[in-house]
Amino acid sequence: MVKKDASRWIMILPATIIIAMALFYPVISTVVISFQDRSLFMPHLSRFVGINNYKNILSSQEFWSALKVTIYFTVISVFAEFVIGLFTAILLNQNFKMKTFLRALVILPWAIPTVANGVLWQWIFDANYGALNGLLYQLGIIKDYVNWLGSPFLALNMVIIADVWKNCWFFTIVLLGALQTIPKSYFEAAEVDGAGFWSRLFKVTLPLLRPAIAVSLVLRTSEAFKVFDIIYIMTKGGPANGTQVLSYYVYHKSFEAMKLGEGAAISTIIAVVILAAAIFYTKILMREEVEINA
Amino acid sequence: MRKFLIVVLTFVVILSFAKVTIRVISSDDFAAFRREAIKEFEKLYPDIKVELISVGYNQLYQKIVTTLAVDPGAFDVIDVDCIWTPEFVEMGLLEQIDDRLTEDMKKNILPSVMRILQYKGKTYGLPMFDDVLFFYYNEDLLKKAGILRPPATWDEFVVFSQILQEKGLVKYGSIWGWAQAEGLICYYTMLLSSFGGRFFDENGEPVFNQGGGLKALQWMVDAIYKYKVVDPASINSDDRAMLHALANGDVAFGFNWSFAWTIFNDPEQSTQVGKIKVALVPSGKPGIVSNTSSGSMGLAITRGSKHKDAAWKFIAFLANRKQQKKQSIKYGAMPIWEDLYHDEEILKYHPEFEAMLKQLYYVTDRPSLVRYTEFSRILQIYIQKALTRQMTPKEALDAAVKEVKKLLGK
Repeated sequence: MVKKDASRWIMILPATIIIAMALFYPVISTVVISFQDRSLFMPHLSRFVGINNYKNILSSQEFWSALKVTIYFTVISVFAEFVIGLFTAILLNQNFKMKTFLRALVILPWAIPTVANGVLWQWIFDANYGALNGLLYQLGIIKDYVNWLGSPFLALNMVIIADVWKNCWFFTIVLLGALQTIPKSYFEAAEVDGAGFWSRLFKVTLPLLRPAIAVSLVLRTSEAFKVFDIIYIMTKGGPANGTQVLSYYVYHKSFEAMKLGEGAAISTIIAVVILAAAIFYTKILMREEVEINA
Repeated sequence: MRKFLIVVLTFVVILSFAKVTIRVISSDDFAAFRREAIKEFEKLYPDIKVELISVGYNQLYQKIVTTLAVDPGAFDVIDVDCIWTPEFVEMGLLEQIDDRLTEDMKKNILPSVMRILQYKGKTYGLPMFDDVLFFYYNEDLLKKAGILRPPATWDEFVVFSQILQEKGLVKYGSIWGWAQAEGLICYYTMLLSSFGGRFFDENGEPVFNQGGGLKALQWMVDAIYKYKVVDPASINSDDRAMLHALANGDVAFGFNWSFAWTIFNDPEQSTQVGKIKVALVPSGKPGIVSNTSSGSMGLAITRGSKHKDAAWKFIAFLANRKQQKKQSIKYGAMPIWEDLYHDEEILKYHPEFEAMLKQLYYVTDRPSLVRYTEFSRILQIYIQKALTRQMTPKEALDAAVKEVKKLLGK
């Protein structure tokens, strides 16, 4: 018996070590650093400072502004991506010619590296040479070129558009996969019962997609909440900090102001928020067995 | 035993012939020149190999700091902007080089440039060029508008821009690089000093929220919204992105570093080859002829470098008169040697050399602070708040002064 037990432990040891090194060590050490006054240089001189870093962060206006920007970015972009993703998935689940080709095509934007996507949209939104101004001007929708990335709130929304264009296809792919597992007979039965498109959507499709929606929402929400690269490429947090999200603030604190302790404190706050969001989603979307109440 | 000796000997022989590789990180502004110079250097010193990592200026600081924090010997030579010297020295990144300087260097390199890599009386590297923000104007466009000379004051700058716009020659008179980045502080320093302002008073108290400092920001905001002579895209273009508009003939005026000269005259990047000239930066106050912001950079040896002698050879090579002359003639930079300013060859082949030289007499440095990066960021954010009209210039600068006082513990 004892021998068997030992071999069981040995078998899971490699995986445990890898997970511990790759996952637990960075998480725990971030939390530890968040209680120290550690700077990027001379880390050996750091001291334990209790909750000072958290106090500094929570009392700084910049943190709250970054939090607001992040929440706005997350809510709007994930909602838009979900809605577009859901309807394109339903569309691509229909039977029509070129179905396979189109399904392959939607992966393309999602597969573009974020950096390339950022540069692409930066040029589209360019105030003088951008395609968006050119298009809207020639259609007569705008009388004068608009400086899309030139004012704080407008710039934030334009970055969201760039992000939605790239990431809504993630929902399409996941939801399309889930849709294909739903037997056609369900929809046919609902149709026979006289259910229209909307009632079929809300009474059959959405309840059956619930687990897939939960997974993709959790993933995209946590990704959006941690967004950094597209902001770094397109606006660098500007103008006037209007697009500075929390991750960018972490980057600034850790690598520009070189206060690793405060940077780690913000990171820990971000992690807690994402964890709360994940628990919230799973609680609402996965709490019960799926049943169709037709 | 004999076998062992042979092995050891072979190793010694191999090691003594082995090439030393030095890693150099530098801003990409003069990358073409440096790549060319490295080829010559490697021919001259066949035992040294140079690996050049060139990154955009706005990435340079983070790249140096984060890399050296992890591995102090990762770079042997780093490109240091004048504003970083105090901070880098305090962090222990730079090797002192006073003993390596030759008499010639001590005597004949311009003291105003040498200063950028000196801190508390010690020298930490060699400057590579003498750079300031120059005033570039499109002579061709001005002629077409019937304007015979470049503007000498900011009022003229506005009027000339309006004339050019009314005649339909340009959409905006000028474009600037006022995005949230270090370039913004250079432009602000230029305007602040030409309006007769200063950042700190004799007691080290920040005073840029009054006098010339306030006038400068008020002018920036008015130039966009009231006079409408500055392209609003300036708010989100940095000092590199704004170059396209000038090189394309879309604006008539622009302010930039010496490297821009090559871009304006490169047929692949510019439609205005030979049309862009240099004049003194306009003045904002009677009694001030002109004023601009300095922005020289230099190369320094890292304290963690394992090949300090090879690194020094490379720095001294790029600083020598022959290379400096080439950098001037082919790439537009202003040399570091005093005597090269009378060099006939440079005067002959660099058409704007004399105009640029005049500007070097009217220069203001950005403040020298150990916590410069944080100071700069506070200022960038509040200037941007005024430029995007979330705050008035006075409110923005008052708030900035308050935060700078807190930063400096006043």
